[in-house]
Amino acid sequence: MIGYALKRLGLAVVIVSVAMLLLFSMIYLIPGDPAAVALGPRATDAMREALRVKMGLDQPVWVQFWNFFTGAWTGDLGREVLSDRPVAEVVLEQLPFTLALIAGGMIWSIALGIPLGAWAAVRRGSLADRLVGVLSVAVIAVPSFVIAIYALLIFSVSLQWLPAIGAGEAGNIGDQLSHLILPSLAVGLGWVGYIARMVRASMLEVLEASHIRTARAFGLPERMITYRYALSIAILPTVTLLGVGIGQMLSSAVFAEIVFARPGVGKLVYDAILTRNYPLVSGAVLVTTVLFVLINLLADLIVGALDPRVRNRL
Amino acid sequence: MSATVSKPSFWRPLRRILAEPLGAFGIALVVVMLGSAIFAELLASADPARISPRDRFQAPSWEHLLGTDHLGRDLFARVLHGGQIALSVALGATLASLVIGIVLGLIAGFGPRWLDNLLILMFDAIKSFPTVMLALALVTLFGPSLTAVVVVVVLVNVPGYARIIRTQTMALKSAEFITAAESMGASTARILRMHILPNVIGPLLILASMDIPVVIAIEAGMSFLGLGVRPPTPSWGAILNDGFTAIRDTPWIAVAGGLPIILTTLGFTFLGETLRDVFDPRLKGRG
Amino acid sequence: MTVLSIKDLSVSFATEAGTFHALKNVSFDVPERSIVGIVGESGSGKSTLINSILGLLADNGTIDRGSITFEGQELTRLDAQAMRDLRGPRISSVFQDPMGALNPVLSVGRQMRNIQYRDDASAAAKDKRSADMLDAVRIPDPAAALSRFPHEFSGGMKQRIAIAMALMMRPGLLIADEPTTALDATLEVVTLDLLKELQEQVGCSVLFISHHLGVIAKLCDEVAVMYHGEVVERGATDQVFGAPSHGYTRRLLECDPANQHVRTRRLPTMHDEPGSFTPVPVPSLPERPADTEPLLKIRDAEVTFRTGPMFRRKSLKGVGGVSFDLHAGETIGLVGESGSGKTTLARAAARLQALSGGQISFEGRPVHALSPRALQPLRRDIAMMFQDPIGSLSPRMKVGALVAEPFRIHRIEGVNLRKETERLLSQVGLGPEFADRFPHQLSGGQARRVGVARAIALGPKLIIADEPTAGLDVSVQGEVLNLLNDLRERLGLAMIFITHNLHVVRHVADRIAVMYLGKFVEMGETDRIFAAPEHDYTKKLLSANLAGPGVSA
Repeated sequence: MIGYALKRLGLAVVIVSVAMLLLFSMIYLIPGDPAAVALGPRATDAMREALRVKMGLDQPVWVQFWNFFTGAWTGDLGREVLSDRPVAEVVLEQLPFTLALIAGGMIWSIALGIPLGAWAAVRRGSLADRLVGVLSVAVIAVPSFVIAIYALLIFSVSLQWLPAIGAGEAGNIGDQLSHLILPSLAVGLGWVGYIARMVRASMLEVLEASHIRTARAFGLPERMITYRYALSIAILPTVTLLGVGIGQMLSSAVFAEIVFARPGVGKLVYDAILTRNYPLVSGAVLVTTVLFVLINLLADLIVGALDPRVRNRL
Repeated sequence: MSATVSKPSFWRPLRRILAEPLGAFGIALVVVMLGSAIFAELLASADPARISPRDRFQAPSWEHLLGTDHLGRDLFARVLHGGQIALSVALGATLASLVIGIVLGLIAGFGPRWLDNLLILMFDAIKSFPTVMLALALVTLFGPSLTAVVVVVVLVNVPGYARIIRTQTMALKSAEFITAAESMGASTARILRMHILPNVIGPLLILASMDIPVVIAIEAGMSFLGLGVRPPTPSWGAILNDGFTAIRDTPWIAVAGGLPIILTTLGFTFLGETLRDVFDPRLKGRG
Repeated sequence: MTVLSIKDLSVSFATEAGTFHALKNVSFDVPERSIVGIVGESGSGKSTLINSILGLLADNGTIDRGSITFEGQELTRLDAQAMRDLRGPRISSVFQDPMGALNPVLSVGRQMRNIQYRDDASAAAKDKRSADMLDAVRIPDPAAALSRFPHEFSGGMKQRIAIAMALMMRPGLLIADEPTTALDATLEVVTLDLLKELQEQVGCSVLFISHHLGVIAKLCDEVAVMYHGEVVERGATDQVFGAPSHGYTRRLLECDPANQHVRTRRLPTMHDEPGSFTPVPVPSLPERPADTEPLLKIRDAEVTFRTGPMFRRKSLKGVGGVSFDLHAGETIGLVGESGSGKTTLARAAARLQALSGGQISFEGRPVHALSPRALQPLRRDIAMMFQDPIGSLSPRMKVGALVAEPFRIHRIEGVNLRKETERLLSQVGLGPEFADRFPHQLSGGQARRVGVARAIALGPKLIIADEPTAGLDVSVQGEVLNLLNDLRERLGLAMIFITHNLHVVRHVADRIAVMYLGKFVEMGETDRIFAAPEHDYTKKLLSANLAGPGVSA
């Protein structure tokens, strides 16, 4: 198990490094001089030159990449253009809001998705099963920002049940939670459908397997077969999928943060693009990417712990 | 229990899809959305880009079926013309992703081991960017444009498509009928074309059709953020953004922008689901 | 006393194509402490019978008529809960697939403890009982085995664990559904002996389902022969196999290549009148001058595989130094169990596998040194047939295109492909209408014929046939062997015939080479190998290949 974990970790490091390389080449390829872009049209040549030296743009490409690369691994993501604060500090300040949003979305999707999927699988072919099927497909199909806007329109603007703007008063947990309900639902609703479908499908597949037939042939009670023999295998693909799910939720979070005017990494990147604050853009993108890779790593490790077969493969 | 002989014909599959209530509903939605996009000029007499300050923020009426926006433009016309953008981007970008994905997947699956490892590493690295973050980063490179949208879609789709083709190719590579073709002296190109591609392309096409809603969502989402099409070109996402800005006073603009997105994504999803259930039940439940 | 009694049982399935009668008036008894065999070919209704007894019929299946009485209790009227209480403690089962029979994510001990869930005993006591049971099926270090997972055991061990689980609750009846079919012959014999021993120890009855007549003859006291959902004959095993009264039983026994104890050029088929068959003597190979250049010459052939995860690659010898000659028109049988390297050797001979040492030459051409271009003519001279009759046909191509594929690959001009395909199909006994079918619409025997037609399309000099009769019903095996014998005589083909089944190879091969762990342990004339095997492994293999029961020709 430890060998497996190390291998996975090594792979994650390689993936993050390649992602850094891609990100760096992207920034490097941006048409025009980043310093000129950042300073706007009224800057003097001297000011541009000063910023170029400060940003390290006067050095050869490979030196720039090496600085970017080593800096990133040690947590130095450079300084943002507007306030001159370290990018890492700005991003980490916003990260908890985004994480809370994703955690909320996760809770929605797991708490609703797994029971719905298992419930539908056991009642295969019934009206309830078909209904769960159509509903989960429907919530997957509709983009999260449309859900977010419609939720805002219905629950905040029309019904006025829940607050529309911000993350709630600092220190007031109740207020913060009530501000979290709608955005996290918008972020997680699609994944309720995904998880329900996934659990249903793999549950049906597992129930067909011959070891389930063996278990039936030994007269084990149906409850034990459904929950301990079948569901424990059926949720495995879901755990792997949760990693992907969190990545998609990171995407949805950008929209949810904009629509509900919440602080967070997504809103940060969006505002940074509008103000051409490129070091902040690349820093924030890198942080979310690392986060995403870490979560996938965690998901793989959990699957490895749950499924003894996986550990022997890479 | 022998399987039925399947003659390649256009009408048989269509009949089987229409026999499923969900499939029929999906096809109806897709046909309506496609039709209204293609015949936008005929169906909406108003010019989607004509600004008329006198008509600002009009509620839906017989003259303006969906009302007007903050510049007095007719929303019905804008929604129909927005459909042209959404659907042409969706189909074009999906096609491009398919072609690139198939080629890379076959290379990874049948080519040398190191090339496979390299490609997989690239795919994993691209996939490790959350979609919207990738889009945001790319927009800094290309600037807001349709090109940026298409590039994002291709980058998002290709790793998945190539992986499917690769996995299936690898599974088939050791199949006996491939070894049989090798033993008869068939060239690699012929094996890929005659024996592997026909067996791997079906599931991919079905998955791609199920991805069309995702592509529509990416286009609309980027336009919503102002990173897609440039104004005044009508786009569903842009309309939704106009509506969002004015959500408290004129909620119909947001409704007008969101409704076509919901209907189109639902239509394509229901259609794709039915396609898969009818033609390839094995794929059921795959992400 | 009778443990299980089945009377007039009829079962049907509602399918899209209409009602399918899977069982028709099936009756038989399983007496106390006895082993009853059910024998039948695919589609005879064996599986439906088991599922009816276990109450595990698919949703679209119904019991139309008849009764199943177990220990005096009528099973057809039992509700699901009562049935569940019987399964496990009273009626237990072992199935064919040892890989899939155990839950992959639960440890063996946990699964065995779950089976005892009705008992109040402590967990430790339950584990003790599990370990004792594993010990009884000869799993080494049973206490440690409890904490291991199914994938850590070999196929034969998994099947023994499944048997241990099935007998742990000391059931009155054990249903064994082809439990040894997936195992190698030597393992099969060991497992059968173990099953018999445990049956006597536990004192239960066994209902043993198999398509393998030799296995049934070895193990069972009584046998029932099934055909198209009916029991056509039943009685004591000796009697049924020694003096069969029903035509189907007689044909079945006669068609089994294992039952032809004299080498014969032509084997009986289901179409022959039972009893009318006389063996066709095998002509001895014509004398050839001592200096004739062999068609295929293999010297010290070695194949090594590199397996295992990155950085910890291990070298594995697939073939370790094999030499032999094959002359035009001659057939050699390569015999060995799974993992012996026989398929690898064959693939190397066709250059589908790289050699790591030694030489292979075909008509003087060095097979492994040829450039891809120079290899093309060789591909026309050496044709291969693969194990899986249906799986070796490209699934999206029609039979016509499949048979024409060699002509297209080698760009042979001036041939009327349509006509050529029809000619080839008729050579293997298939009508022209087959050209329009897809592989999945063929039976195993038909698909095998298509494979033969494709192999002979370009007039090869050598055919390498890898297990060409595996997975085919006994009655079809004979037909395929007759076809191959026929063709190789008519076309003067040389053949490498790979099989694990000694009884099959006997009627085809002029010489037999026995492979074990990548090496030839013995090679010689077919009759000599059967009459006087020299190597211990050959002897072991011969005794493990259970001879067909009864009826002498």
